[in-house]
Amino acid sequence: MDEILKITFRLTISCLLAAFVMGGVFVLTDKAKKHNEHMEFQQTMLGLLGYGKENPPPEDLKLYTIYRYIIFKDRKKYMGYMVPKEGKEGSFHQMIIMDLKGRYIDSVKLDIRQEEALERENREKVLNAALKDFSGFNYADMFIIAEQGGKRVAYLLPGRFPGFKTFIKVMLALDPKFTILGLEIMEHEEDPGLGGEIEQDYFKNQFKDKSLEKVRRLRVIKKPLPEDYKLYLEMKRLAKGIPQDQIQKIRERYRDDDIYAITGATISSRSVTNGVKKMVRNFVYRMGMLDRIIEQQEIEVPFS
Amino acid sequence: MEKRLFLILLLILSITGGCKKEHPFIKKVAFKGESAIEVHFAGPVDLKWAKDKGNFELYEKPDPDILIPIKDVELSENRLILMIQAYDELNRNQEHIFTLKNIVSDGRDLGTAIVSVKKLYFGIVFNILIAAMLIQNFVFTKYLGLCVFFGTSRRKSTAIGMGITFTIVIVFASMMSWFLYQFVLKPFNLRFLQIIVFIGLVSLSVQAVDTILRKINPALFKAFGVYLVLVIANCIILAVPLILADNEYNAIESFMLAFGAGLGFLIALFLMSSVRERLELANVPPTYRGLPIAFVVAGLFALAFMGFSGMSLF
Amino acid sequence: MPRRRKSNKELFLNGIFNENPIFRLALSMCPAVGISTTLMNGFLLGIAVLFVQVFSSCTISLIKDYIHPRIRIPTYTLTIATWVTVIDMVLAAYMPAAYKQMGIFVKLIVAFAIITMRLEMFACKNDFVPSFWDGLGMGLGFMFGMMSLGFVRELLGMGKLFGHDILGFRPLLFFVLPAAGFFCVGIIMAVFNYVEIVYKRIRERRWKRGYS
Repeated sequence: MDEILKITFRLTISCLLAAFVMGGVFVLTDKAKKHNEHMEFQQTMLGLLGYGKENPPPEDLKLYTIYRYIIFKDRKKYMGYMVPKEGKEGSFHQMIIMDLKGRYIDSVKLDIRQEEALERENREKVLNAALKDFSGFNYADMFIIAEQGGKRVAYLLPGRFPGFKTFIKVMLALDPKFTILGLEIMEHEEDPGLGGEIEQDYFKNQFKDKSLEKVRRLRVIKKPLPEDYKLYLEMKRLAKGIPQDQIQKIRERYRDDDIYAITGATISSRSVTNGVKKMVRNFVYRMGMLDRIIEQQEIEVPFS
Repeated sequence: MEKRLFLILLLILSITGGCKKEHPFIKKVAFKGESAIEVHFAGPVDLKWAKDKGNFELYEKPDPDILIPIKDVELSENRLILMIQAYDELNRNQEHIFTLKNIVSDGRDLGTAIVSVKKLYFGIVFNILIAAMLIQNFVFTKYLGLCVFFGTSRRKSTAIGMGITFTIVIVFASMMSWFLYQFVLKPFNLRFLQIIVFIGLVSLSVQAVDTILRKINPALFKAFGVYLVLVIANCIILAVPLILADNEYNAIESFMLAFGAGLGFLIALFLMSSVRERLELANVPPTYRGLPIAFVVAGLFALAFMGFSGMSLF
Repeated sequence: MPRRRKSNKELFLNGIFNENPIFRLALSMCPAVGISTTLMNGFLLGIAVLFVQVFSSCTISLIKDYIHPRIRIPTYTLTIATWVTVIDMVLAAYMPAAYKQMGIFVKLIVAFAIITMRLEMFACKNDFVPSFWDGLGMGLGFMFGMMSLGFVRELLGMGKLFGHDILGFRPLLFFVLPAAGFFCVGIIMAVFNYVEIVYKRIRERRWKRGYS
């Protein structure tokens, strides 16, 4: 009996010590982790817009994040868009609620600043208080409107869809006419050398310049990538110069082609293509709805 | 006795799986082909009602505001089966919600039906089992559990013994891990304690199975007891709870994952031991004898198992 | 005659060559096969294992007198799990891209037989400093193994090293596949075996010559 007590005592002490150490490290690293994630996100966004370390973004570039929520009331579903606004006391948000057919329902003021809204828990707290009339809400996704000099220059869409192995997280950039500006692969667990090649320029950059019409019907073709197209796609990485007129020709020639699959990674290529297709289709529809309601209801928003 | 239980379980699963019916008039709704949905009615519906595309609404569950455009509607001769054809391929891995407004049958308005269309749940669950067993075999595709694998694959008898013991322990440990994860770790935001908790459970399971076996069936214990200790050193036993925590599986899915992992390990062991028994009699060069040639063989098996990748039965 | 206590340097080298965890002791092969697809992966996992091994060895050697013999294994497991969780969180926070590549393997370090074995065989019987060197040697041996595998696989499979193009083309994409991991480990093991056989033969010859 004595033995068992001694053993249990020692084990408990060790467990407590271990938990203490781990808890301490957790608290220290959690902040750094979140900060890193945020930094990476920012960098990817700016990278897609063409800015980076050598080319810092101009002062008048502003990014507005809009969060989409699905809101429930009894058995009906509504769509809510959390839009940033600017006021005298600082920034706050407004939840624009519409029904599934796009008819305006209501607007709710949310007392939360842009920096605070980055954290999901902060948003949930404010929404819990503000949406008391409704039975519940679920976070859906978010997108970012990039403005420069008072005009919309791009839309940035983070997205997630299933790939060959598990999920693939991407960030897509569209211009005001919804033509693809660029695609960045943020996270994936595909096989290196095969599915992992979706990170490579020769795959990612194929999506550039594809118009909305083309994206709606985009497919994957299992043909080898033409040499001149590959050179053009990898131009930046290989730092090879191609004469200007040739660049134009190649661009025109391949702009309306489908996506050439990665050798040995058809499924990954298809997953990305279908994922991008769906993201663009859904976004264009929703952005249209939101813009229409903002115009109809004459809601003041900081983006044009 | 076990067989009967299993069949009953299967029956229950196949009934409760599949489509939720929220309208008594609709017998069955399922995906058909790549871009169509088939609806079976309990009685004949009016042709005029069926041909009006405006009576139907289809969307993917997470995107209720985005309606999928319907290309065509076909009604069977006996007016009992309706087929909706969409323009693009439907994502069958995603649950869809299908609304049939004001169903008209023989002139009577039977109201609106909102049904959920998804792959048979049984299929999804079975997929997880097959995936864990073959497509994503833990030894040959995920390269886990290799230490124990090479250690016990010399003889068929040890291989089978290890495989069975392992399957039992892993199912036990995984179910407990799932339970603890869902009801203790998640609600209290203690996710970083995953590793410690899971491995603690594994040790506990090994201890529990050890004690149970000793009491219930000493003969069995004599045969398999020695492998129990080795189970702890097996990477797979920790990987399975980590995976089911990551993917947020529910109880049935977790069970399938664990069971599939165990079976996959057993299959791998069995195959390997069959080959190694023969290798003992072959003329292997001295530098390769023992482990090196075993690794090369494992490599060949891994290549073979690659053939399963991308497979999906349901 | 009592066994001569190995010097710290010998302990250290022992871990890298004589008792190299991957190629000689044939332990912890799971990551060797799976993650050694690139040099960077091998390096990072090696660092993680090194960290866990050294810290665990040191911790256990410090508290070895207080461990009750009947709860040896749970205590080792507890220590290892603690340090693994720590390194897991640190890596996730400060090197997220690399951490994602390694997937589940960092968390699985706790199941590596090599660490538990080492604690059982060495750290619980020796003092702090020898344990430190032994842990360091083992950890480095593991890292060396992982890196040599990663080197071969990345170079032959992708023509790159550390992500930089060396060859400019891809000799055999096959090496990136998991199956190749098995092959490579098997072949390198055979190489180690061969070296051992040759070494033994030379020693025998010298020994025989010594007598005649």
